[in-house]
Amino acid sequence: MSGPAPASEPRADRPRVLLTTEGTYPYVMGGVSSWCHQLIGRLTDIDWLVLPIVASDKRRRLFTLPPHARELARAEVWSEAPPPRRRPRLGARRGSDALPATLVRHLIGWRGDPDAVIDAWTACRCDPAIVRTAFRSTRGWELFLDVLRAVLDERVPEGGVPPELDLLEAARLYQTLYWVARTAAVPTPGCDVVHATGAGWASIPAVVHRALHGTPMALTEHGVYVREAYLAAARSDASPGDRFSATRLARGLTRVAYQSADIVAPVTEANAHWELGLGLDPDKIVVIPNGLHVPDEPTPPPQTKTVVSVGRLDPLKDALAMLRVAAETLRRIPDARFVHYGPVQEGQEIYGRSCRRLHQELGLGDRFKFMGPTDDPRRAVRAADVVLMTSISEGMPMAVLEAMGEGRPVVATGVGGVPDVVRGCGVVRPPGDDHGLAMAVVMLLRNPELAWRLGRRGHRRLRRLFDEAACTERYRRLLLGLAGREPDRKRTVELEMTA
Amino acid sequence: MTHVDLDPAAVRPVVEARLGRDPQDMLEAAVVLEAWEGMGGGRALLAGRRLMSTAPATAERSVAKLPRPQHEPRLLRDGAAFVIVVIAIAFWAAPLTSDLGVAVVRDALTVALSLTLALQWALRSRFLDHRGGLLELARHRVALVLAPGATVLAGAVALGHAGTLAALLTVTWVGGTILLRRNWPLPYVTIVLAATAAMAVGLPALDVVRGAGVLTTLAAVAALRPHELEPPPMPAAARRAERTACSAAIGAGVGLMLVLDPSVSWTAGAVPALALAPSAVAALWGAAELCRLEPAILRGLAGVPVRGARSRPRSRPALGVLLGAVGRLLALTAALSALLLLTPWLGDSVRGAGVLAGFGLLALASLLVGLLDSLGGSRWVLAAVALGVGVEALVRIEGDVPFAGVGLVAGGATAAALALPALVVVLRRSARTVATTLWIR
Repeated sequence: MSGPAPASEPRADRPRVLLTTEGTYPYVMGGVSSWCHQLIGRLTDIDWLVLPIVASDKRRRLFTLPPHARELARAEVWSEAPPPRRRPRLGARRGSDALPATLVRHLIGWRGDPDAVIDAWTACRCDPAIVRTAFRSTRGWELFLDVLRAVLDERVPEGGVPPELDLLEAARLYQTLYWVARTAAVPTPGCDVVHATGAGWASIPAVVHRALHGTPMALTEHGVYVREAYLAAARSDASPGDRFSATRLARGLTRVAYQSADIVAPVTEANAHWELGLGLDPDKIVVIPNGLHVPDEPTPPPQTKTVVSVGRLDPLKDALAMLRVAAETLRRIPDARFVHYGPVQEGQEIYGRSCRRLHQELGLGDRFKFMGPTDDPRRAVRAADVVLMTSISEGMPMAVLEAMGEGRPVVATGVGGVPDVVRGCGVVRPPGDDHGLAMAVVMLLRNPELAWRLGRRGHRRLRRLFDEAACTERYRRLLLGLAGREPDRKRTVELEMTA
Repeated sequence: MTHVDLDPAAVRPVVEARLGRDPQDMLEAAVVLEAWEGMGGGRALLAGRRLMSTAPATAERSVAKLPRPQHEPRLLRDGAAFVIVVIAIAFWAAPLTSDLGVAVVRDALTVALSLTLALQWALRSRFLDHRGGLLELARHRVALVLAPGATVLAGAVALGHAGTLAALLTVTWVGGTILLRRNWPLPYVTIVLAATAAMAVGLPALDVVRGAGVLTTLAAVAALRPHELEPPPMPAAARRAERTACSAAIGAGVGLMLVLDPSVSWTAGAVPALALAPSAVAALWGAAELCRLEPAILRGLAGVPVRGARSRPRSRPALGVLLGAVGRLLALTAALSALLLLTPWLGDSVRGAGVLAGFGLLALASLLVGLLDSLGGSRWVLAAVALGVGVEALVRIEGDVPFAGVGLVAGGATAAALALPALVVVLRRSARTVATTLWIR
């Protein structure tokens, strides 16, 4: 961790919201970061404290925080920096050796108890020195192994049969839990509401803060954390043991976050199904769709047979499918052009190379261009006749909203909230239906009038349902309600949504 | 996947085809059905739950994938640079003694060797031995410029000419360590060779050493321009101060063992320093072999199930690497020492096989304590080094020694004999070592 959070006095006149992020705002470009920046920028009547949890190599801030927001000392994970040196309190050492065992039992075990995790994390926060002491101790390791064996012996029908982890995988899991515990020990300043931007690592300090101070906690889920973790693991070439550890940890963190949060705000109803399926109390769910600033009138498409896509190059975005769709489209419309904006997701360099390889194998040449990251995605989609999205997992993708805002028709896979958003303004096909996606692109390129009509319909739909001002207003009411500044907070939001 | 119902018999082939294996649990089955078959989240979860109720109940055996081994292609070049520097510096003793007198040079070398080793160990522990350490060190460039000056001033005030010379030698050698670690061996080798040549043509030796110290410092500062350093994959983070102090104490102990033996005269021309060359070269070879140790340790853990009744890690690969390193060090020291003994123009002045054996044992002790220290056995290492220093001091007090270098032999052997069993124990319980020591900072 990069140091203690600076202390500051709470102000009575303005509510203070602690926003916790994981690998996004303000260090990484992307949909969640844009959403954070937009929310903070528009809710000027709130004092924002941003606590980023980032990988250790993220040092350059990509967003400038507005004056009413302040970044706290960021929490780094998997860094080589040692934790702040303190001695454990007298007597604390004795019980602390069980910390790794407690975390593996209740975070990794299928039947783990979220309350036990919260208690353990709270202990880490109250006495941060026990974390290193516990994980460095021989007894801590031995207890961890004993409990891990019990977890691997668990037989729960829906949990499947855990694989036989080897000692190296066990040591890796042990190290991961150490970082979880260190994240729990990160200090947080006084605030009126804690707002986690995901159910994973970002929720850890929020959960601890709530447990310690009783501060209300909101959780926004853009994707569903656990679903994305499973998807990433399913596509990775990790060993069964490492895959088991990663997915079970995501599930464990999510369950703890759902248990603690007072309000869970998915960006689409499709995510709410997952949240309910993971045991979230339905009374906690408030769907707040993303919003976007919509220009008054969209400009007509350039009619250059250009197909634009925007998004990171990673398996969740299924760029390989996009290349196949392009190849099939180009067989029918040889003078079409595909342009993709977006960086290779960090850690997905091999995937990026496989995209380049497939690009070469399909002989796409200059007709499909990888443009790299863009800081103006709206201008990028404005240059399109059709906007394409082939993701296999999404919440409510900003790229689709931006396309609709610019009056461009969307051809997309029907994942997450996409079908609800795109309804009547483009073509939605099941993920994996490359042929169907290509045929939709061909149809729209050959019928520019239809494309323009769908685009304008999308623009109108966006203005009506996904307006930025309405979205931020919902959050304003939600956060102020949680902070006790507006009574009957949930009802207010629900009534608005119903309307 | 609207065309497939929730019947496990229909769903299973779809999921297995996508994954190429059985699903791990209901959630994995559900994400597959949703992401690749277009099933809604609620239905996918239901289908996943039903599917898992009919899943086979056998545990899959997992074998961790090992990280790709990191090569150290620079080792040979840096090693060669180090040997050239050792040999060149060996030729400084005669002109320095001639200019400053035996007592001054002897005192200076006694201080410089101990201090240099202490600083080198401390620097390696705090900065040089971990990723991003150079960048962190680069943030202290002002200190890097000021510290040498302060050291020389302190040396001059405390010990006069001897102190000045000791400080200058320390500055040169420590700066050289930074340059070698920064992958800049050429400037360092050039500076040392130029200084050697300058002394050979009769320039004042102390001025030459002063020039070498200044140039090495400037080169080190130039080498540490932050924008030229590779951004680290991990953050540039310093180790704990107490850990650094511990390493410095170990280094100082090894340095003391090097200079405590009165039968080794560092001022008798180039020969005593040359006698260090066999063990120095052999230690490099041994250290190069140790680069294979971490992969060997991890290899010994991969595939050993945690649930086995006797889930003990396989220690043979790691112990094999350790044995290989020790064997290489001893064998090469013996071979090069024999060569040195048989070189006619050196004759008896190498002070016999005892000194060479002593340097060899000290190199072995240094290798073993360095390794044990990096594996978390710092306290044991401190004890071993302290005992080695103590034994050598006792021999020195005793005075009447059977052969030259007996103090070195006794001290080095003591430290090595204490470190070796501890290392074997640490490597035999490598899972614990990796989990609680190497991977928990």
